[in-house]
Amino acid sequence: MELALQMLGLLTPVLIIHAFIIPFTKLFKSTRLPGIIALIGSMFAVISTTIVLFKVYTEGPMVYTYGGWPPHFGIVYEVDQLNALIGFFTAWIMFTIVVYSLWYSHHIDDPSWYYVLLIGLETGILGCLYTGDAFNLFVMLEVLSITAYGLVAYHRDRAEAVEAAAKYALIGAVATTFYFTAVVLLYAGYGSVNMAVLSIFTRISGAKVSAALKYISVFSVALALWVFTYKSALVPNHFWLPDAHPEAPTPVSAALSGLVVNVGVYATARFLYTIFGPNSAIAEYREIVLSAIFTLGSLSGILGALMMMAQRDIKRLLAYSTICHIGIAYMGLSAGFLSGNEEAIKLAVMGSIVHLIAHGIAKALLFMSSGVLIDAAGSRDLDEMRGIGRYYPLTSVSMILGFLNLAGFIPFIGFYSKLLIALGYLDSGFIIGAILIIIISALSIPGYLKAISAIVFATGKEPSQRVQKTWIEPVLFAMALSLLVLGALFQYLWPVYDEASRAIITMNGVIEYISRAWNLIPVELKWFMGVTP
Amino acid sequence: MTLDFINTYLMLILLSSLLVNVVLTIYGIFFKPHYTKKVIALTILSDTLNTFTVYIGYRRWVNELNPRPPILTVPPTTESIIEFAERAVDPLPQALVLTAVVIGLAVTLFLVFLGYILYAHYKTLDMREIRKLKG
Repeated sequence: MELALQMLGLLTPVLIIHAFIIPFTKLFKSTRLPGIIALIGSMFAVISTTIVLFKVYTEGPMVYTYGGWPPHFGIVYEVDQLNALIGFFTAWIMFTIVVYSLWYSHHIDDPSWYYVLLIGLETGILGCLYTGDAFNLFVMLEVLSITAYGLVAYHRDRAEAVEAAAKYALIGAVATTFYFTAVVLLYAGYGSVNMAVLSIFTRISGAKVSAALKYISVFSVALALWVFTYKSALVPNHFWLPDAHPEAPTPVSAALSGLVVNVGVYATARFLYTIFGPNSAIAEYREIVLSAIFTLGSLSGILGALMMMAQRDIKRLLAYSTICHIGIAYMGLSAGFLSGNEEAIKLAVMGSIVHLIAHGIAKALLFMSSGVLIDAAGSRDLDEMRGIGRYYPLTSVSMILGFLNLAGFIPFIGFYSKLLIALGYLDSGFIIGAILIIIISALSIPGYLKAISAIVFATGKEPSQRVQKTWIEPVLFAMALSLLVLGALFQYLWPVYDEASRAIITMNGVIEYISRAWNLIPVELKWFMGVTP
Repeated sequence: MTLDFINTYLMLILLSSLLVNVVLTIYGIFFKPHYTKKVIALTILSDTLNTFTVYIGYRRWVNELNPRPPILTVPPTTESIIEFAERAVDPLPQALVLTAVVIGLAVTLFLVFLGYILYAHYKTLDMREIRKLKG
């Protein structure tokens, strides 16, 4: 077998083996060994996702069949341009987060358990992104969720952290149980849990689909969407995020805010564009669902931007900013309810994908640099942190660059993502969408300026303690520069993002996704599935 | 009164009790103030949905063909496989339930230990009290 395919199949098993090796380092009484193993694991993820990305972009979607069972009969991992791109950025951001965790080690009293959970979280995210099987998505969602609950409650001597984790975990467990029901209903309706096979069955049934099947599909999509919007904190389901993300250890806040929320957006895109596309059995309900997502997205954008102004805690401010930006990403994603102009929809969804990347890098960067300044000030309160940034110029500069990216200033990639969503709405004649994007951006600027002016430009007292280890500062600055570079090279990278959007929006992209899996099923088994070849 | 009628009747009772269970447990999770009761409601909810999943894979008792577990006891010939495929219940939902049960065990254990730590901090598990204490 070729290298890229092997790398795709090895990715999650190797990562989870790394995670499970880490507790054994307790035998050696070493405090550094867990971090080193985690570093090796995340480096492996970086290498394999990069190889997968190049392979997918040169030769189209690829399918790895576990145990050699063909799709529909076994678990498969299927990667097209969309999840290859998001997975690539996820692995890189996670790598910097593991590096940052090595710096953060003075707050971590039990590193072995911390790194088990962190690498488990990476396994969960990458598994959710790469899987081509709706039931495997449930399993990976649970891997992701349990490690996330554990990491939020990691500082278990802090009462607030435990309470935030309890709130998050209790409703999260209900949510994943409902996703399980959604998968079972899909299986009852269509007789498959494989995403590619499901996409065929929802389309070939077409007009002659029975009413019962239609209701089953609508109900299961509704259940699944509730779970995905819960995981990515869209407005009615955002209540847990402002508690859970700030209370987690700082590198974990970066991972939760930058990466975990993306999984929900990706899964929504997969369900509403690949599986239940515009020409599927529930096409007429799909537009209602998408316009509802648009409304909720704009609501959460406005709510996140407004709540951001009222915060005094820097990490809580960043958490509300996450709600705001996930709202924008969902707004771009929901462009499919504007039937007709496919080019415009493709543009808006492309903006949404770019926004996930821009927000993921910037939010991880902001949490990490705020972690350095919190250490210096000894507090998370913006009033206590006044002027603290002056003593750490490199961190402050990277923090300002991250905030400018989130606010959408011109040379940054965060500007282009918002521009693309607005352009997509303008092209399809839906002016309100474009105006809402501009309003949300404008509303969010005071919150960012407040944080910048308090930390960097205000004059405050001398810092109570100096941060001893400053080797993390160049890493943060490199991340900030990557935002600028991605923005500057945007017109050259355009085809990369365009391909990712094409893979789920256009019929050709979806057919490519389906056929790669379908061609792996032997002909006699296709007969067994009730489909004549 | 035929067997078919009894079968339909029993399945109807099963389905409606599952529905009642789901509604009650959702009420329990969202509106009961006590943490332990919320966790208990959650376990009942996941068990209910697991039962529903097994029901999805169940094959109706029609034409005197009683459903059987999906285990082939005789040597596989073409006739025996055809007969087997007509009688066997769908094994896939059972496999899905097996996975979900194991995962549910892990989540419940985690939630119970979280409740233990929560009690150590607040000396109560009443979520209203905890919200008040946080201030």
